[in-house]
Amino acid sequence: MRNRPEAPVALALICTILAGLGLAVVYWLGGQPQIEGALLAVALGGLGAALILWERRLMPQEQVEEEREIASSAEERAAAQAALERGGEEFGRRRFLARLLGAAAAALGLAALFPIRSLGRAPGLSLFRTAWRPGTIAVDENGVPVGAEQIAVGSVLTVFPQGHPGSADGQALLIRVEDGALRLPPDRLAGAPEGLVAYSKVCTHAGCPVGLYRAQTHQLLCPCHQSTFDVLSGAQPTFGPASRPLPQLPIEIGSDGLVRARGDFTEPVGPGFWEL
Amino acid sequence: MRRLGALLVLSAVPTLLIVGPRAGGQISAANAGPELFATGCASCHGVTGEGTANGPPLVGVGPASVDFMLSTGRMPLADPTQQPTRQSPKYTGDQIDALVAYVTSLGPGGEPIPVVDPEAGELMEGRDVYSFGCLACHGAGGQGASVGGGQLAPTLDRATPEQVAEAVRIGPGAMPPFTEGLIDQQELDSLVRYVFELREAPDPGGFDLGRVGPVTEGFVAWVLGLGILLLVIRLTGTRT
Repeated sequence: MRNRPEAPVALALICTILAGLGLAVVYWLGGQPQIEGALLAVALGGLGAALILWERRLMPQEQVEEEREIASSAEERAAAQAALERGGEEFGRRRFLARLLGAAAAALGLAALFPIRSLGRAPGLSLFRTAWRPGTIAVDENGVPVGAEQIAVGSVLTVFPQGHPGSADGQALLIRVEDGALRLPPDRLAGAPEGLVAYSKVCTHAGCPVGLYRAQTHQLLCPCHQSTFDVLSGAQPTFGPASRPLPQLPIEIGSDGLVRARGDFTEPVGPGFWEL
Repeated sequence: MRRLGALLVLSAVPTLLIVGPRAGGQISAANAGPELFATGCASCHGVTGEGTANGPPLVGVGPASVDFMLSTGRMPLADPTQQPTRQSPKYTGDQIDALVAYVTSLGPGGEPIPVVDPEAGELMEGRDVYSFGCLACHGAGGQGASVGGGQLAPTLDRATPEQVAEAVRIGPGAMPPFTEGLIDQQELDSLVRYVFELREAPDPGGFDLGRVGPVTEGFVAWVLGLGILLLVIRLTGTRT
């Protein structure tokens, strides 16, 4: 080895050649990602190793530094400083032009305020209300009206106000718990007949859909930040960053068995923007 | 109650040993259920399935629930305080059938063992049902995920078509049930077909990395790929 310093370089290059040919053969035979990846790694690694070994073992090892002067001469520096000072004096003398410059900048800034109008219409009451009205029929994601008997004890279904399937703020979770298990104030209990209760699906923390329901413990879980809500006690938060319960949608079961709203949610849905 | 159950279990053991060989090494189907129940289930679920402090009542849970719990090895549990997870089943198919028949005879109610025909399902419909009902907990790739509170939605990689259908209908553990009113038979067939499509989907990169997409893939690329590169640079470079 000491007598043949080019041997390791040749060995690495031969590895690259064999791996490259192997890669072509594997590809031709139908391909296998792991084998192809390994062969490519050997081929490129061999090439890199060969170049490094070539440089280390065969090239002359000498470090050369190119000297160069970067500083200007003393006369040039003095001239530049004098020019800069004359410019400053000139600017201080033109008071009128300087004031015009300030006014131009202010006018431009004022004009930049006007595109605020282009951000769209004022939201009005739309953030406080959803499409649910007294008597609105609850539908599933396909727009089909939901019958109360569809929801067995322990089951959950995402419902929307009729005419707005897929509505972001109107989506609600319709859950049936054991009859009599709900612990709600009497006025809220009236909107949860036969153990059937509906809550907004929009998390009160950051507005994610509260998609996970642990039926055994009656807990709703928001997958974004693990906010947990207790279904039996009015969707009060029991864990996580949400500080406000999910608004309840008061519902009733019509004589036709369909689920209808008795009105809008008990309070605005989603994160508490109005408390800012 | 617990002591009584244990006593009965103990007294049932010699009975089994005596009855067993006499029936030619096999317990007949008619009495296998009660025997197996007394030895494997009664200590926690009560002698007549009425439930104890260690286990819920089994009267009226229905055949699907018993078949699911036993065929996925979630029951019997060695320690009633632990969360049941998938194990290899402790009973043979015949024994499970006998236990299902016996527990069903304890009281009416519950879901029958669903019949499922994935061939009759439609893939696109199955995807819709999966996205609406399953994805939030079991993940887009069916690999399972945490549902908070120390509980896991299990991976769907090992379940049989019948077990997927049973879980849909009964809602085992933390899972809510999806009865006929929410997922009808046609949708159930489609859903099971989609779950099996997910499982058989090819992984062109070789490793699925949990099938959770760019997060794990990026992690591997940055930590492993760049880490190895940095090591090589450190080994080959010179410092002046």
